[in-house]
Amino acid sequence: MPVLLLESIVLQTFPYSETSKILRLLTRTHGVRSALARGAMRPKSKYGLLEPFAEGLATFHLREGRELQTLSGFELTRSHQALGRNLVRFGGASLLAELVLRTASEESHPALFDALSAGLAHLEAASDEQVEAVALAECWNLVAHLGFAPSLDECLACGRAIGEDEDVRLDHAAGAVLCAKCAPGGTSSPGRPLPAFARATLGRFLRGVAWPAPERTGAHWALLRRFLLHHVVEGSELRSLEFLESALQERSGTGGPDDA
Amino acid sequence: MPLIDDLTAELARLPGIGRKTALRLTYHLLKRPADEVRRLARALESVAERVRPCTVCGNLTEQQPCALCGNPRRDPTLICVVEESSDIGAIERTGEYRGLYHVLGGRLSPLEGIGPDELNLRSLLPRLGGADAGTGATAGAPGVIREVIVATNPSVEGEATAVYLQQLVRPLGVRVTRLARGLPVGGDLEYADGVTIAEALAGRREL
Ligand SMILES: [Zn+2]
Ligand SMILES: [Zn+2]
Repeated sequence: MPVLLLESIVLQTFPYSETSKILRLLTRTHGVRSALARGAMRPKSKYGLLEPFAEGLATFHLREGRELQTLSGFELTRSHQALGRNLVRFGGASLLAELVLRTASEESHPALFDALSAGLAHLEAASDEQVEAVALAECWNLVAHLGFAPSLDECLACGRAIGEDEDVRLDHAAGAVLCAKCAPGGTSSPGRPLPAFARATLGRFLRGVAWPAPERTGAHWALLRRFLLHHVVEGSELRSLEFLESALQERSGTGGPDDA
Repeated sequence: MPLIDDLTAELARLPGIGRKTALRLTYHLLKRPADEVRRLARALESVAERVRPCTVCGNLTEQQPCALCGNPRRDPTLICVVEESSDIGAIERTGEYRGLYHVLGGRLSPLEGIGPDELNLRSLLPRLGGADAGTGATAGAPGVIREVIVATNPSVEGEATAVYLQQLVRPLGVRVTRLARGLPVGGDLEYADGVTIAEALAGRREL
């Protein structure tokens, strides 16, 4: 049984017994794995911190073909625990983790790992004003690394390159845009309007760039929601996105605990 | 044999018990005197029938309200909010706390679909003199509660739950504090030792 030292990020933990935990981890080179950490809930466990978003070097006793691996060590490199001190950061980090879990594969994907690691760090470091745009950008960046990015540069119907200041329509089901000639608008045209400035913002988000941040974020969240539900989770609910959306609402003072 | 299979299947649903252990427990029970096994069955039945969450604080109890809520010697100006009923025992064992409790029944966990609506928060606001989130009715005695001590687990989810509670409670003009760190991060309050919990209580901080 090979012993492997793998760069890992904890995505989710479940209690297994009084003292043990089961973890879902994204590894840099072995995809998403489940592992049993025996004794992880004892006060003086040998593992240290095994909590969602913690990043470190995990020692696995890897048995290929097995669903549950054994974790024999975890050397923490970044805790990311400050994400819990703000509900928007916490919701954003949970959404990134949920996207990776819902598309989980055991294949090596170092770029996905690096994108999640950077995404968690950016969410943690962002100021309160920045954090919403950062959450959008990191989420779209992960979507791009997962291979679901919509194509924004040419028209799906006529193949023509879209100019910088052209308003188009985004057919989210097709994952592509249509130019004004091919889809003049109105109820018969597929997709929804995507003005030139919003297309530019979305293009930046897909590269993980949050700046300049959009002035209004509502339409971007709606677009992200429609896109994720169609392409990534195929119609089933995305629990973290719901949590994040209500955290954003509460923050902006439209409903939520402050008004209760 | 279907009866043996049934029992094994039921036991295997318990946390931390796999198929093999369930089978071992089943055969163990079959070797015990029938009286002893009936006592176990009766104990399970009584628990299922008579133990309910306290209508005031959510603690598991056989009487309404629970013995803690009904005890006139507890300090009614303090409420300690915990994730699970079992956490109350851990804090009570320290002998350092004389106030009341509120049991959430979990912690915020977006990945598991546990948001504020899934926690026992609806009955907390009336206790603090605020409006019930569902009915808009106020209850309890406003101004009686001076402080809410948030004792959720020292984990990233426990911390997020504490932040949510702070945002919920502070507008009501009640002081909100959080147990100090010192508890093992990533652990479970229920399994922490008394000295550690007592120290964390003493060093609780403003949220
Ligand atoms: Zn076209
Ligand atoms: Zn009670």
